[in-house]
Amino acid sequence: MNASLYTDALSHIAAPPWLTEARHEALDRFLAAGLPDSRQEAWKYTSLDRLGQVTLRPPEAESSQAVCPDVTAYPGHVLLFQDGQLACHGTYLSNQFAGTLRHWGDTRSVHEHLGRIAGSSALADLNLALWQDGARVYVPAGERLGMPIFAVYGAATAEAMLHPRTLAVVESGAEAVLVEHYLGQTDQTYWQNAVSEIVLAEGARLTHIVVVEEGPAASHTSLTALRLGRNSEYRALHIGLGGLLTRRDLLAALDGADAGIRIDAFDLADGRRHTDLHLRVSHRAPRSQSRITYRGLADDRARAIFDGHVVVEHGAHQTDARQDCKGLLLSRQAEIDAMPRLEIYADDVKCSHGASVGQPDPDALFYLRSRGLDAAAARRLLLEGFANEALGLLDDAHLRDWLMPRLLAALSRRSGEEVRS
Amino acid sequence: MLQIRNLHVSVAGKPILKGIDLDVGPGEVHAIMGPNGSGKSTLAQVLAGRSGYEVSQGSVRYLDRDLFLLPPEARARAGIFLAFQYPMEIPGVANAQFLRTALNSQHRARGEAEVDAFDFLEHVKGKLALLEMDDGFLYRSLNEGFSGGEKKRNEILQMLVLEPRLAILDETDSGLDIDALQVVARGVNAMRSPDRAIVLVTHYQRLLEHIVPDRVHVLAAGRIVRSGDRDLAMELEDKGYGWLNAGADFEEDRP
Repeated sequence: MNASLYTDALSHIAAPPWLTEARHEALDRFLAAGLPDSRQEAWKYTSLDRLGQVTLRPPEAESSQAVCPDVTAYPGHVLLFQDGQLACHGTYLSNQFAGTLRHWGDTRSVHEHLGRIAGSSALADLNLALWQDGARVYVPAGERLGMPIFAVYGAATAEAMLHPRTLAVVESGAEAVLVEHYLGQTDQTYWQNAVSEIVLAEGARLTHIVVVEEGPAASHTSLTALRLGRNSEYRALHIGLGGLLTRRDLLAALDGADAGIRIDAFDLADGRRHTDLHLRVSHRAPRSQSRITYRGLADDRARAIFDGHVVVEHGAHQTDARQDCKGLLLSRQAEIDAMPRLEIYADDVKCSHGASVGQPDPDALFYLRSRGLDAAAARRLLLEGFANEALGLLDDAHLRDWLMPRLLAALSRRSGEEVRS
Repeated sequence: MLQIRNLHVSVAGKPILKGIDLDVGPGEVHAIMGPNGSGKSTLAQVLAGRSGYEVSQGSVRYLDRDLFLLPPEARARAGIFLAFQYPMEIPGVANAQFLRTALNSQHRARGEAEVDAFDFLEHVKGKLALLEMDDGFLYRSLNEGFSGGEKKRNEILQMLVLEPRLAILDETDSGLDIDALQVVARGVNAMRSPDRAIVLVTHYQRLLEHIVPDRVHVLAAGRIVRSGDRDLAMELEDKGYGWLNAGADFEEDRP
């Protein structure tokens, strides 16, 4: 590993003074540990070796040549970050509850939580040392935001190393919808290493949608870490549609009693893509509930990995945890590894998990064709149905209208049918 | 409408149908009866175009076309409908979405206008009522978690919506209680018309109390061993299939 690459990067960041020390400590920890490697159990299936073989740098400020995405396409408030910086003048933002970490960093909620939810791990440390900007959402007690907040992280520069950071704090009884959209705008190699920290206070509710559409040669690693207070509710939809290598970790701590978490995830892996989604949900207080639904599609020579680890800790009585993961293989060379796991240290719990991996059912295809659908349309409907099982959270029509065309376009490529407009 | 000549069909090298001849004209209702393993379901599946069935001899013409040249979707678009004995469950696909997609695939293929969501609902609601199904059926995943009876009703609903020229019902009566049987029969009777043919494949005579067939055929060991009018079905009910045994080689194993 080329340590000077990272120390140089840090020396170029205009860090807020209150964070300087923490950044240097985090970098030291990262340099001591190095990038995760396959000797670590959690990284057994995913190698980051390629990241060590290329020279990736944070893009120079103002060097970004990207064309601004059409922010009006997003049905909500938009914070647009391009190559690590708040970008594109006229960013469509009219919300007092959402801003940038760089400008709003020196506030109580940021001091209190930044870096503390994600904890220490090589990639989280690296992000803490090198993040340049990101969305900061703070919803005061009792406030209910009607419109979703979109944090868009675009990447347009070849050989860039980006560390976007998001912090969302939803105070007691407050409600919000946060969408993170990772968007590749170049076919060249780059790396986004994101960290998102989320805190839900008592009775808070957050719907969190994460859409990964990185470029075809991109690597994407991310950690979403969250803490759930008493009686709070977190609902998440994670969708992976792009990026040569994606590794996403979600760590959820259900600290308060009666907290509820629902995670739906859909991954589409094709070409030579490699997707790896690790969830770790810890039930730490009584009567909390978790629902995990994973649907993974793998085609060509792609590989999709799902590791869903639910831990019921001592004292988390009457935990109700369910996991349902399914994989669909569309070619002989594709591979899916679906691993739901349960670790239980409490009595009186209700926990279940199920996993299956198969191919499109020929009998189901015949059934659809016998009603007049041609082979491609039948296959497409089966794939849509498969994906749909993880899309129950898209109950908002505007969000659905924004997301479904992206998803259907990706699915159409897999069913051998052109998109019909 | 449908002419089957000397049809021989094997499954995995094992002969199942051994020379079927059958003529079905427009407006007619035919019942094909027979014991388990006689080849009734094989005949239904072959007509719908399921793979894995090898036609070794004979021909089937439908509306003056060679049926075996058409893939399953082309048969459906030409008006053939098979109500499945075991309908498939398709998770994540709403019944309404599926039905409208199917209807519009057929309309497009025939050069007819597509049906929009509003007109579709109008089209389907009266048919739901006829089958005593509530609107909730439209928004459930296709057959997923449906009871046996609900699946059969849903097959009949599809038939009513798609309005086929030739409807083949494969043991639609099996597993139905008497109320459901009457509802299904009502749906089928609503479909009877001078330009539509219906083929009922059934093990029992009781469906034929509600849907009166023009012709009844008895299939045994891959051949039609008797044909007659509805009285033949009554006779079978009285005597069972055993009395046909003479000369016929019964095989109980199914494909």
